[in-house]
Amino acid sequence: MQEDFHYYATYCAAYLAGYSHEESLDICYCAQFVDLCSTTFLSKIKAPIKAATTQLSLEMMDARTDIIGLQDITRIWASFHFLPRDLYAVKPNRSKRYMSKYRLICGPNGDLLEKTVRLAKGKSLQHAGIAMHVLADTWAHMYFAGTPSLVINNVNNSFYEILEKDGEEYARQIKFRHNPSAPDDIEKGLYTNSLYQSNENSIMNLGHGRAGHFPDYSFARYKYMPAWADYYEVLKDNPSDYERAFTQMVYALKYLRGETESFVKDTYDTSVMEKYGDRIRTIIRKRQLNACEDWKKFGEELSGETIEKFDLTKYEDEYDLIPADSKNKSFIGKFIEGALQQKGMVTDEISKAGISHAGFVIPIELNKRKSG
Amino acid sequence: MIVTAFFLAYNPKEAYRVVISFLAIGFLVSGIATLSYYFTMARYMVGGKIILYRGVLLFDFAIFSGALADVPRFYVLVYLAVIHLFSGLVEVLRSAEARGNGGKSWGLKLIHGIINITAAICCLVFAKKTNTAVYIYCAGIFYSGIIRIVQAFRKTSFVYIR
Repeated sequence: MQEDFHYYATYCAAYLAGYSHEESLDICYCAQFVDLCSTTFLSKIKAPIKAATTQLSLEMMDARTDIIGLQDITRIWASFHFLPRDLYAVKPNRSKRYMSKYRLICGPNGDLLEKTVRLAKGKSLQHAGIAMHVLADTWAHMYFAGTPSLVINNVNNSFYEILEKDGEEYARQIKFRHNPSAPDDIEKGLYTNSLYQSNENSIMNLGHGRAGHFPDYSFARYKYMPAWADYYEVLKDNPSDYERAFTQMVYALKYLRGETESFVKDTYDTSVMEKYGDRIRTIIRKRQLNACEDWKKFGEELSGETIEKFDLTKYEDEYDLIPADSKNKSFIGKFIEGALQQKGMVTDEISKAGISHAGFVIPIELNKRKSG
Repeated sequence: MIVTAFFLAYNPKEAYRVVISFLAIGFLVSGIATLSYYFTMARYMVGGKIILYRGVLLFDFAIFSGALADVPRFYVLVYLAVIHLFSGLVEVLRSAEARGNGGKSWGLKLIHGIINITAAICCLVFAKKTNTAVYIYCAGIFYSGIIRIVQAFRKTSFVYIR
């Protein structure tokens, strides 16, 4: 997902869940910050780099894909962007080596999602924002794994967008190209993806890189043959999935606010769709590269307040000026605390499932929220 | 690589066996690793057969390269010519694909392709000179060394997933 959903749509969801304008801004700021909190940023503000929630392209170019490098990559991408749906998934006649990658495939409504949302309960707004990023991404990044893997994440030419003309559906083959500077062309169906690399652990085979940004567009409806699906086609309906992501966020945020007693997976707050369904569906289905303006307008109509643009430097000075022993009380400090807890929890769960790709957590350090 | 190229070029008689042995061992290790990857992972993947073919081909290259120590050097040149010609054609096709997809790297790929095809032609033209295989090999690794140095300073970018 992109800034339009992680920032503006999350603001709308938080406001509809009952948070104030200021609280909603904090939550959506953190949901978007997950996509920007890199080791480069953390080094710049002299914060602990183990709290990184993303990797920038330059960092990934330098990232090694030996076991230590792969664990770093997987900890970040599986914890925050590709939350595994079922760490104990079963598939007959598969090697252990294969299953250790297969079980990291992301999807909504897994046990780890429940744990993610429950972990944020009673914590800071920053932690709630992190949980909302993770929750939303489980819908957009479904069927891809947050670890480099050719056998899981590769896609072939059998990739079609489902379009409508005169009320009838038809499939148009998507053409992928490898030119990062060229913007995606929605009209012609031209999208940038990562290069094919036959090396299993090439960084090019991370997440949905082989399908480019296409899975991140809310309007996208497509069918394709995932590398892991035994030659079966998968139909991905983003408008429907994004709608469920939005209503699940509202439900989860109501739980975090204390309005609902428990968080149960596969549950959605459909009341918002009864009232605002047409508006939300219109934004989600509109064929555009970036829906920020539409979500912003909707959010401002809901709260009657102005939603400021996302500014990465907004809390840098506060973090810099606060005394060292009080850093964890600052805005970024609370975010770091939430990020470390999330990373520690997911890494621990992956490790307990017998998968070594994310490393492991030493229990004593887990209490101190240090992942290793 | 550049230093090795010069060293081998000054000792072409010794270099011949060294080059062939390194080539064979390199292909053998890659072939076994690729076949192992196919049987434990890639055979479950859509289109995974390509990994099997790759492994078999590498293994085959290893056996064939190892056997070259006992055959006349003329055949080695033919072998080198075929490898260069094949690589060159693949690079030219990739260049056309990259150009069609709007990629910027098509020019470099085309140059690689032309160099490989030229090397193949050289192998056949100078077939009577027995040390030609070594010199062409040296030119190849010299060129690779230069390219690696250039690439180390080149700005590269790739898709960033968010």
